Amino acid sequence: MTDRALHDLVIRALADAPFRRSAEWRQRALADPERVERFARFLARHFYFERIVHFFKYSGALARLTGRRPDAVLGQPAFAALLPSLVLGSQDSARAVAGLVVAHVKSGAPSPPIPYHDDLLRYEQTMMVVEAGPRVWREAGNGQPATGNAQPQTVQGTALLDLAYDLPAVLPKLLQPFTTVPDAPARPVRLIVARSRHGRVAVAKATDAIVSILDLADGRKTLDDLAREAGLRPAEVEATLQGLTELGAVRFSTGS
Amino acid sequence: MTALKIGAFYNPHLGRELAAAQGIDHLAMADPPRADDPWWPKIKARYTLLLHDYLGQLSEPLDERSIQRARSLAELYHTPWVAEHFQCLHTEDGAYNLNYVFPPLYTEEFLTRFVANANALKARLDQPLVMENIPGFFDVRHSQMAEPLWLRRFFEATEVGFLLDLPHVWLEAHYRGVRPADWLAEFPLEHVIELHVAGVSQDSDLQGPWIAPAEPAQEMLEFAAHAVTRCPRARAVTFDAFSPSLTAEVLLRGVERIRAALA
Repeated sequence: MTDRALHDLVIRALADAPFRRSAEWRQRALADPERVERFARFLARHFYFERIVHFFKYSGALARLTGRRPDAVLGQPAFAALLPSLVLGSQDSARAVAGLVVAHVKSGAPSPPIPYHDDLLRYEQTMMVVEAGPRVWREAGNGQPATGNAQPQTVQGTALLDLAYDLPAVLPKLLQPFTTVPDAPARPVRLIVARSRHGRVAVAKATDAIVSILDLADGRKTLDDLAREAGLRPAEVEATLQGLTELGAVRFSTGS
Repeated sequence: MTALKIGAFYNPHLGRELAAAQGIDHLAMADPPRADDPWWPKIKARYTLLLHDYLGQLSEPLDERSIQRARSLAELYHTPWVAEHFQCLHTEDGAYNLNYVFPPLYTEEFLTRFVANANALKARLDQPLVMENIPGFFDVRHSQMAEPLWLRRFFEATEVGFLLDLPHVWLEAHYRGVRPADWLAEFPLEHVIELHVAGVSQDSDLQGPWIAPAEPAQEMLEFAAHAVTRCPRARAVTFDAFSPSLTAEVLLRGVERIRAALA
């Protein structure tokens, strides 16, 4: 085993609590287990602090009304109870931590009530969960995705979010100073939340064409197949796929 | 030694205060400026800016995208040098990421990797490269040499500058149970271009001290005063505090106290 591979084991042990308890790790006796555990817990709190502050920033801005700062969960017993199961960067762990945040913020009844509060929390939770997962840190080639004759495939973890309020219309206002809580138009919107290979999360309004293509893009169908099955013009499919690729919702498989 | 410049990190939430502050010679930039930051034009016009972003990890070569990003930030800031860290915080396959600085193994293999990749990065930059030491909370038994020796060999092989983070040295000394000044003396201080000074506070997970967005204690200031006398090429000292929870009062007083301690 190379030193680089051995170092990867140390990184994994710090990031992956179940792995730290495994015989595979413990038998190597690479470091003082007590020190490793303490540092791993420190890293976990830091890891989720950064994500909660970022993805729940709107709830953070509303904390003076809800009485609930999202990052306060990190000091609560419920988070401590999660520590033995957390795997930094996994969607399951992101879902568990984001769930704690949502429950905590919901436990404070905003005064006055915020009609779109539930939508807002679902939006923030989805952003945090979609962000989780392995990422490409460095490009081996020129970084350009394959297209041409390749078959598009919906990226695992891409989420569609149906909301009762038009949140994108109100989100920027929540980060500005306000005396009364800004209103969100009560009209249904469907959003697509996706993540690039480099871990950047992006949101866009989902059209019917987008929803169809996300359903159909399985890595085997060609652009013509998608156009035929979705009942769309090939040019429309191509334009939609370009937008979805930039968003990180679709990538092209080149087959084996 | 030329007169030391004393500075801080740019904290965007303190943009208003920093745009009007006195007694700060430079600002280190940990993140690119946000497009909607109203204070950025004044900050850019007023201060010497130091590039101190996450560029990558030199256990692997930086890819072209990362190099172009580093070059473009360096040009935006007109930075006198570009800082990178002795870190290896994500696995090669991208599956695990600590999201926090973490040192490499101090082995021959990692030394070879860091030397090659730092030389490659240096060749692509228009400014000198400086590298910052990263503290270890525990030793990995596979390491082949002590950190100071590994660093010395790195700097001799690359001739890049040393960004000496003093609290990192202080913390390692604390957890090793040795005197900070004795541990510091092991490091290749003749390569130091910039020093970081910061506060520490008790961390409940670590059950001991760690870096915090707090004023440096008197002991840390005295340690800094001692260190700069051992760093003949040092040009700048930076108060290393970067956090949304940092207040303007702590930042301004921290810089003022560092300046007084080094006067």
